[in-house]
Amino acid sequence: MSGTHEHGHHHREPESVLSLRVRALESLLVEKKLVSSEAIDRVVATYEQDIGPHNGAKVVARAWVDPAYRARLLADGTAAIEELGFGGVDLQVVENTPGVHNLVVCTLCSCYPHALIGLPPVWYKSFEYRSRAVREPRVVLREFGVDLPESTEIRIWDSSAELRYLVLPERPAGTERLGEAELAKLVTRDAMIGVAVVKPPAAAAR
Amino acid sequence: MDAVPSREIADMKGAAALPRKNGELVFDEAWQGRIFGMTVAMSHDACFAWRDFQSHLIDEIGHAEREGESSTYYERWLHAFEQLLADKGLLDAVALDERTREFESGRRDDVF
Amino acid sequence: MNGIHDMGGMHGFGRVEREDNEPVFHARWEGRVLGISRACSAHGIFNIDESRHAIERMAPVDYLSSSYYERWHDRNVRLLVEKGVITREELERRMSELAAGKDPATPHSDPKLLDCMLRVTRERTPYRRPGPAPRFAVGDRVHTRHDAPVGHTRLPRYARGKPGVIVRVHGTFIFPDAHAHGQGEQSHALYSVRFDAALLWGESAEPRAPVHIDLWERYLLPDAPARST
Repeated sequence: MSGTHEHGHHHREPESVLSLRVRALESLLVEKKLVSSEAIDRVVATYEQDIGPHNGAKVVARAWVDPAYRARLLADGTAAIEELGFGGVDLQVVENTPGVHNLVVCTLCSCYPHALIGLPPVWYKSFEYRSRAVREPRVVLREFGVDLPESTEIRIWDSSAELRYLVLPERPAGTERLGEAELAKLVTRDAMIGVAVVKPPAAAAR
Repeated sequence: MDAVPSREIADMKGAAALPRKNGELVFDEAWQGRIFGMTVAMSHDACFAWRDFQSHLIDEIGHAEREGESSTYYERWLHAFEQLLADKGLLDAVALDERTREFESGRRDDVF
Repeated sequence: MNGIHDMGGMHGFGRVEREDNEPVFHARWEGRVLGISRACSAHGIFNIDESRHAIERMAPVDYLSSSYYERWHDRNVRLLVEKGVITREELERRMSELAAGKDPATPHSDPKLLDCMLRVTRERTPYRRPGPAPRFAVGDRVHTRHDAPVGHTRLPRYARGKPGVIVRVHGTFIFPDAHAHGQGEQSHALYSVRFDAALLWGESAEPRAPVHIDLWERYLLPDAPARST
């Protein structure tokens, strides 16, 4: 069975020349016992999981599909992520709604929910972000390409203690038929920090 | 196979840097993940040293840029990988073309 | 302390720059610094509050001109020297030896230490501790102290002497102001406190942009109770 690792969007188009060529390559290399398909599967999975905030994305996707889980996550983030096998952080989850957008920063250093979403990007630790996010969040968000209506309240969370903050982004419209795994692929690190919103698959396609 | 990712692979720099968004690897299409996995799996199994592949990749990217080609990162990766396999005598282009035609015509469907 | 690290609200920094295809580490030494930090944690050489304060004690000009991992490296050296684990002379000597191509260290493996380091990375360090009952409740109006301690604190300068509202009672946690200075844990209540943007920044404040900060009870004073309706 050929491996399928679709990311973010699903093309039901005829297979591209490149895709065929790569399948042919895999086929030959497997035949020559130079590689196994299972090894390829494992490599892709390992690199993706090591270098990405996938754990946080799974938590968000679960909250989107399961209202009872969402309620538990907002009440006690630390315990709720442990239900999914994640730990290592005293977590506060803050929810975006149509009238409220959340933004996380650490003005004093660079506190960040590492255990759930990996190491922070350089910009999060920068003087520019640390100084400006608390004072002019709307301008900073616009620089990130997020334009919120004036009526939206922007709640900034300055992570000054050992609690770490995770934004629960709004589920994008038109995703009602996507399963949990497909939803998780839409959730970005930036959306969980609060400098992005989650886009529906059509908008995310390049 | 040891599935711990190698920093040598993950942290390539400059034009050869793995495409990412928000820190995550980006594969726009499934075949890109497969070719990535294939190359890395064979390197883990010591079919070739990673730096050999990396120099082929850098050469391919340089060539494509000089020629003004609009090929994407993983297209260049694929060409570099095929070139490396040919150089090492691990695969020949004729066999690959033939196998590609078999998949295309539907005579063959499974990878196994 | 009124350190350069306390930069919430400062003017003069420009646009947030983002790097395409940013790698996890920009150079091999950065990863080594992270590993050394985890090892020091695993050995209990310094606690997180001491480690933050060590970075805060950099000269402002050095702080501003260092990269993130350069600050971590500076912190590691500073604390390892202060705690008597190494001396600066030893470090200089070893740098010369390595530059001359000699490495007197012998590699060895230490599975127990590795296990401890991985645990430190993966598991939640329990900063929650038993402590006295919280004084404040959700909805209480408070204001923050405006004295500037010379040591470590987690009350940012921009929020000193400001009125706020308790929005959550988190429980009791190790108190950084004490823990960073070898004065024990002094655990007590931690709160999420909400500050109105206009009260923090004045006329230049954006509308509807409240800031929430996690603050210990010792940073807070009660306001006069609100009139009940």
